[in-house]
Parts: sequence; structure tokens; C-alpha cells
Amino acid sequence: MEQKPRKETSEDLVVPEPPATPPEDPTPVMRPEDEALVAERLRELGYIE
Amino acid sequence: MQEKPNIILISADSLRANHLGCYQYPLPTSPNIDRLACQGVLCENMFAPGIPTQPSHTTIFTGQHPVTHGVVAHGGKAKLGRGTPYLPEILLEEGYTTCAVDTLFRERIWFGRGYEYIIDPSLHHVFYASVTQEELNDRAIHWIKTVPKGPFFLFIHYWDVHYPYVPPERMRGLFYDGGNPTDPDNHALDQWWDHPIGAMARDTWLHTSNGPITDPKYVTALYDREIRYLDEGIAALEATLEQMGMAENTMIVLLADHGESMTDHRICYDHYGLYDCTVRVPTIVRWPAGKLRAGSRLAPFRQLSDVAPTLLDAAGCMVPEEMEGQSFLSQLQGQEEPSGYDRVIGLESTWQAKYYLRNSRYKFILARQPDLLGNPDRELYDLTADPEEEHNLAAEQPQLAASMEAELEAWLADKLQALGKSKDPVKEEGAVAVSIWLGHR
Repeated sequence: MEQKPRKETSEDLVVPEPPATPPEDPTPVMRPEDEALVAERLRELGYIE
Repeated sequence: MQEKPNIILISADSLRANHLGCYQYPLPTSPNIDRLACQGVLCENMFAPGIPTQPSHTTIFTGQHPVTHGVVAHGGKAKLGRGTPYLPEILLEEGYTTCAVDTLFRERIWFGRGYEYIIDPSLHHVFYASVTQEELNDRAIHWIKTVPKGPFFLFIHYWDVHYPYVPPERMRGLFYDGGNPTDPDNHALDQWWDHPIGAMARDTWLHTSNGPITDPKYVTALYDREIRYLDEGIAALEATLEQMGMAENTMIVLLADHGESMTDHRICYDHYGLYDCTVRVPTIVRWPAGKLRAGSRLAPFRQLSDVAPTLLDAAGCMVPEEMEGQSFLSQLQGQEEPSGYDRVIGLESTWQAKYYLRNSRYKFILARQPDLLGNPDRELYDLTADPEEEHNLAAEQPQLAASMEAELEAWLADKLQALGKSKDPVKEEGAVAVSIWLGHR
């Protein structure tokens, strides 16, 4: 198979700046208790030794 | 200039190829990764022969198919044999200073093999995968600036794009075109709450004061913001190499161990299911001194088992016979016409117990046990007509399905015989996470 010429990349696209006061964007955070719960659940599933 | 190149292997866990601009994603998630691709070579069809994280990374470092190295499941019983060739060990023996800025050794011990330095900033977190690209880069950049006296191999494993998707506050507003992320009448994610990973997400990182996030478009925006955040980290790493005068003779390989489902195939924000969104992974290689064909794209099929042989080739090292992958360095350099595999065979044994066989047109998926979603045991997709793999043709084209199944089974039988093994490892392990979740092991 031949190498193809490069297609358009997102370099050519305009990068949006985050709005100053976005509407309806609760942006989740991980509290320490959340991290502990995630680690516990994944340990239960065998993901972590 | 030192003769041997420095090598930086970057694994972006769960980075889906077609969410990057250089893989035709329409949103600007990855301007710096795209630039890296323009300066280097991009593999359009790199496949993971085993998913998720543990099988795939074991393949990346051993150059072996999961059936060969035996680690077919994430959290399974198999352990990597001590005699299996391992990329960092070989490079260490060849005079490289080796370093991992990584947490994988906390999951399975063999991921620590061959490193003179292991740096783990996740120790500052309760959950290790909460470590950020900034924390990893802070240590990696310090190490690059202060430690190596000769050629080095640096492995950096970023977790940002893996769930939980918790991008920094400054990414707020990106990639979400409005709506109500916590609309209680939006039930699009309800089925996910029945899955233990989904329930965990709802109770933790998707929890807000207005209730859980219910809009999948918003969750996808969070994922894309994490890519944008990772992309900033890649730029910072590159800037350091430029500043140190190392950019010319440092080979950067950016890849993913697997992709991410988003909500495709009724699999929510996870990395199981042997569809292309998860098994076709991004791979970009940049090495200015290596005279790569900058800005080119390799279309033939490659597998992640090819990565270790290619890096050893670049380092001027012999590739052990036990490594099954093939170096494609000369193709990256344009010295050889691009070529690859006619087919790729892969597997998973974590949330599902399945094999896939993919050729340039079709994919056949064979289940060793029923999955939780109620999918049929045999799936056949025409990737040309149906690239999203939504229309199962197994019933409509039984002869083709049977032919591909026979091809897959013959490959497996031959492989097991050559390895002196008698048992199918996917049958043996089963869907490990399901068994654990249901209390069967």
C-alpha cells in the first residue's frame, strides 16, 4: 500500500477559548472520598493488587 | 551527538484514535499531538492484539501476542514469565539509562522490570490513576534535565484520558455545546448505572450538587477536555527536549494501549468490546535524526507487538527471536515500501471473553462465553460499508462467518501447539472482571 498525503489536521482549526462564565457546566471534581471509593471498587474487581 | 537515540515511549491510556485531529476528529482536542504527527509518521491502522491495560502493555513491552505471553486479562491469574524478553531490560543491558514515570508496577510487578529509575508521583493520591500529566511531566522533565549521561529510555504512562474524566477547571466550557448536563429526564446513561464501573462513576466523579451527570454529550466533552489537557503536556515535554538540545536525536513514540467506547455498542465510557473504537489505537513516531518520512501516514495493518522490535531496531539492538512483532523502522524512514499484516487477531478476557479477526474489509468476533449485553456469540461486520460496526452480518453471511471462524480457530490451534500449550487462555480465564463482580471467583 502507498503512503498517503497528509490530510487536514486540527492544526488548521480555530481553538476556542473557554467561555468566562459557561452556562450549565458543573465540571466534576474528585474528592478524596471519591478517590478512595474508586480505588476500593477497582480493587474489588481485581484491577489493583 | 551520541550515536544511539534517546527513546521516549508515551502511553496515553484509553486514548481513542478518532478523537484526535490527526485522525480526523472535527474538534480541536489535539493541536500539539497533531503537530507531532506532521513532524513524524502516523500509523493509521495500528491494532491492539489484547485489551485492556495489562494485556496491552505487556504486549507493547514484550513484542508478543497475548496468547504467547499469557496475560490475556486485566486482573487475571496469569503472570509474565521471567524469561520473556522485556524491552526496558534489553535497553538497560545495551547501555541505556532506563526510567519509568509510571504507576503500572502497582498493578502488576512485571511492569517494573528493567528500569533503573521508577518515579511514581501517584503516591500523593489516594487513587493512583488520579495522577495528572503535570505531576508526571514535572518528574519526567526533571529527570531528563538532571540524570541521563548517555542514551536514555523513558516511559511515561498518562492516565488523564482514562476514567475518571476530571479535567482541570480551566478547561471548563470546552467541547460542550449547551444543554443541561444533569437533566433528570435524560435517561441515556441509565443502563450504565447497572454496570459496576458506571455505578462507581455515578457515585463519584459524575456526582454534582444538582445530581449525577446524565448527558452523555457532556461526559464525552469531559473526555475531550482530558485529551486537550494531555495535549498540553505533550507540548511541555517537547519544549524541554528543544531547550535541552535533545529533540533531534530523541525518538518519541506516542501510542495508546486501547481506545475508549464513549457510548458505542452500548458500552459506556470504558474499553472493552473488540470494536475498532477500542482496538484500533493511535500511534505517532517522531525522530528527526532518524530521517523518518515526516508528515507521512502508514496505512498497512500493524500491531502493538511491533513497537518493541521497532524501538530495538532504532537503538541498534538485536531483536530477540522470542519477540513476535516485526520492526517497521525502515518503513518509517521511507527506505522500504509500506507493508503490514493481512489480518490481525486479538482478544479480551476481562469484561468479555472474546476473540476478533480483522482483515482489510471484515471483522469477525467470536465469544467464548455470553456477554453481559446479550450480544450474539458471533458478530461479522463489513468495515467498508459499515465502519461503525453496527450491522451484524453473521446471520446474513453464514459462510463468510464460518470461514473466518475456522481461520481464527486454526490460527489459535497452531499458536497453542507451537507454544506447547493445551488450553485456550481466554476460555481458561473467562471474563475475569465479570466473574469477580458476580462472586464466582
